[in-house]
Amino acid sequence: MLFDAFLELMDIWVLTAAVVGIVSGIIIGAIPGLGPTMAIALLIPVTFSMEPIPAIILLLGVYQGAIFGGSISAVLLNVPGTPSSAATAVDGFAMARRGEGGRALRIALYSSVFGNVFSCIVLIALAEPLARFALDFGPAEMTMLMLFALLVITLFGGGSRLNALIMVLVGICAGIVGLDPISGTPRFTFGSFAFENGFQLIPVLIGLFAVSEVLLQVFEREPVATDAEMPELQSSAVRLVELWRMRATLLLSSVIGTFVGILPGIGSTVPAFMSYNLARSRSLESETFGKGAPEGVAAPEAANNAVTGGALVPTLALGIPGDAVTAVILGAFMLHGLAPGPFLFRDHGLEVYAIFEALLLSSIPTVILGLLFFRVAIHVTRIKPKHLLPAITILAIFGAFSVNNNLFDVWVMLGAGVFGFMFQRGGFPLPPLLIGLILGLPFEQSLRQALLTSGGSFEIFVHSPITVGLLVLIVISVAISAFLALRTSRNA
Amino acid sequence: MQFTRRFSLAILVGIALSPAATLAEELAEEGFPSRPITFVVPYGAGGTTDISARQMATMAEKLLGQPIVVENQPGASGTNAMRAVASADADGYTLIATTSSPSFVTPALRDVGYDPLSDFTTILNYSGPFHGVLVPADSPYQTLDEMIEAAKSGAVTYGTAGAMGGAHLAFASIAAEMGGNLQHVPFDGASKATAAVLGGHVDAALVPAYRDLVLDGQLRLLGVLDGTNDPDFPNVPTLKDAGYNAEFPSIVGIMAPAGLDAAIRDKLEATFTEVASSDEFKTFMTELSQPVRIMTGTELTATIKENLNAYREIAKSMGQSN
Repeated sequence: MLFDAFLELMDIWVLTAAVVGIVSGIIIGAIPGLGPTMAIALLIPVTFSMEPIPAIILLLGVYQGAIFGGSISAVLLNVPGTPSSAATAVDGFAMARRGEGGRALRIALYSSVFGNVFSCIVLIALAEPLARFALDFGPAEMTMLMLFALLVITLFGGGSRLNALIMVLVGICAGIVGLDPISGTPRFTFGSFAFENGFQLIPVLIGLFAVSEVLLQVFEREPVATDAEMPELQSSAVRLVELWRMRATLLLSSVIGTFVGILPGIGSTVPAFMSYNLARSRSLESETFGKGAPEGVAAPEAANNAVTGGALVPTLALGIPGDAVTAVILGAFMLHGLAPGPFLFRDHGLEVYAIFEALLLSSIPTVILGLLFFRVAIHVTRIKPKHLLPAITILAIFGAFSVNNNLFDVWVMLGAGVFGFMFQRGGFPLPPLLIGLILGLPFEQSLRQALLTSGGSFEIFVHSPITVGLLVLIVISVAISAFLALRTSRNA
Repeated sequence: MQFTRRFSLAILVGIALSPAATLAEELAEEGFPSRPITFVVPYGAGGTTDISARQMATMAEKLLGQPIVVENQPGASGTNAMRAVASADADGYTLIATTSSPSFVTPALRDVGYDPLSDFTTILNYSGPFHGVLVPADSPYQTLDEMIEAAKSGAVTYGTAGAMGGAHLAFASIAAEMGGNLQHVPFDGASKATAAVLGGHVDAALVPAYRDLVLDGQLRLLGVLDGTNDPDFPNVPTLKDAGYNAEFPSIVGIMAPAGLDAAIRDKLEATFTEVASSDEFKTFMTELSQPVRIMTGTELTATIKENLNAYREIAKSMGQSN
């Protein structure tokens, strides 16, 4: 079966589709605001007349390419192209400022490919049993998992835990605006229809990171990146030994990414930050994190790319998409006569395995195309701020508007930019705010769903082995964090 | 000299254009469409409503001889787009592909900034996914009656795609009528409700797109919420068949702002009906696992009106009325 499927790939159209998909994905991902969801949705009509296998490979190439592409603008401009690359920006941009942008991009590329390959292998080997396992995650389990994720973000992010907690709560508060997930009634909308949709993730992301970065550079008394101070581009070679040293980080991040990807509705931003924080707390040189540590680039990139394979597990095996991107991919599979669900592997095993193998093999063109792309992209850092900043601002406005074709989102984006600027000036970290916004509403919804199913009894949170396991993890991480805090204060 | 020359030129151009403009208005019916039509989809790109609407647009633009531009305006379960279209010019160049939720469910609950009946002209209905009552394969309930009976002695939980959706309200009215403890658990989208019922976290789910999971024996279909049987499962009763006075008819139709010229409306209805009843469109929809369900504009208006009233009643009894 696997070999027959491989033969299916011996087709010039398959290769063309993979290359076109990856290239357009990388470009779209690098532009703030244009994410994989929109790219895939717009390309679906293009694939109508194509054979199923190349069509799906084209769309999945866009998916993979876009997730990776987001890291290019994150590293070079400190403007994450997609939410999931916000974690990459922290150390990636710090490296770029030292003139090691090329190296940071290469580490991001190789880690991305590692995460991809890892999650593809998981997908090929274990799609069906893992999809079953994902179903065991009901509202109670999701509540505990999200609580754990919020704790990891708050406790192990580095810097002040109090500041991180404040920012998580700001994010959660912003997420409350809109329709109540349980009663369906508007709340905190001031009677305005525009507010009913809440603050959307992409406009907030663009505002917090892109606009606030522009404002910071504008108001910086002495511009950081003047012509004279622009560091020379340094050698960007990454040796295999360096990657081998990061093997544990890469593997752990890929496992987190794949696992979170399998569960519906969390997406790729949260695992990227979780992996970053775990890599930081495991590292012997944790003080270098945030100042341009290569592992700080590798961890989130491996994780957010591993999400792609994980997210396809329930989508294909059960026909249940976990997020907007996989919902669009589900539609594409259906249009090409490959209806995802319990019969997909039985009825279309050949096509499905061919697609999986193509996903694995597409690592090769991704590396080649990525390296070619860097040669051009790296020069972005040499553009003068007075030319670059207006361009970023225009892209930001365009990106925020294009999400819903809605002017309200542009105001949200600009507002988030001003707030982001003030928070950064005040020394507050922005990532916890993003995570609070992403997880706040789903956390509330899961918590209330769990209590609805249990008739209001909190016993449901210690009812299944999964919730108990997560509870233990939560207790352990709080204990470790308390221990570390005590030790630092005693040493100081 | 320069000024006068430019001025006279402007007058000449003005004279040349003004009769053309009035003529174009007069010829509106016969000449329709003379420019591209905007077709608003109230959901994100790539969903089933979007994909089917894009196919409708591609096939209809060949018949109309003008491009049809699909524009996605997602947000607030479709009410944002409906409000935008309600205030657009009623010239036939702005259409919307709409569904049950923004046309008769949400407007029954609260002020949405438009009236689905008086602010719109209906063109036709062309689809509408069947929603089923699904339980896990190992569930003790074999029929709807058994489930409703069980709800009288203890809580039965059911998941839906979201709070105050059509499926939720239909079941809420059954619960009110039968006096059982049917506990609603809203999810963020139908696929998450499906996952919850597959994992046994809720006792039942009211969701569309269940065919393969039922055929595979992972879920059992106890009933359909629509007024008619699902052709894939002709023996499964509707709620009305099973003796409950509730239904959630699912529509996917095309509407335009109210006040549209009757001749233009008729032309649009004829064109889109021709597309929707073609074999090519049926094949396309089968691959998408979506039914083709054609209703005339008049029938669609009647359906919306009837359900808007029914849902207002339910909402009133739940203390949520508008």
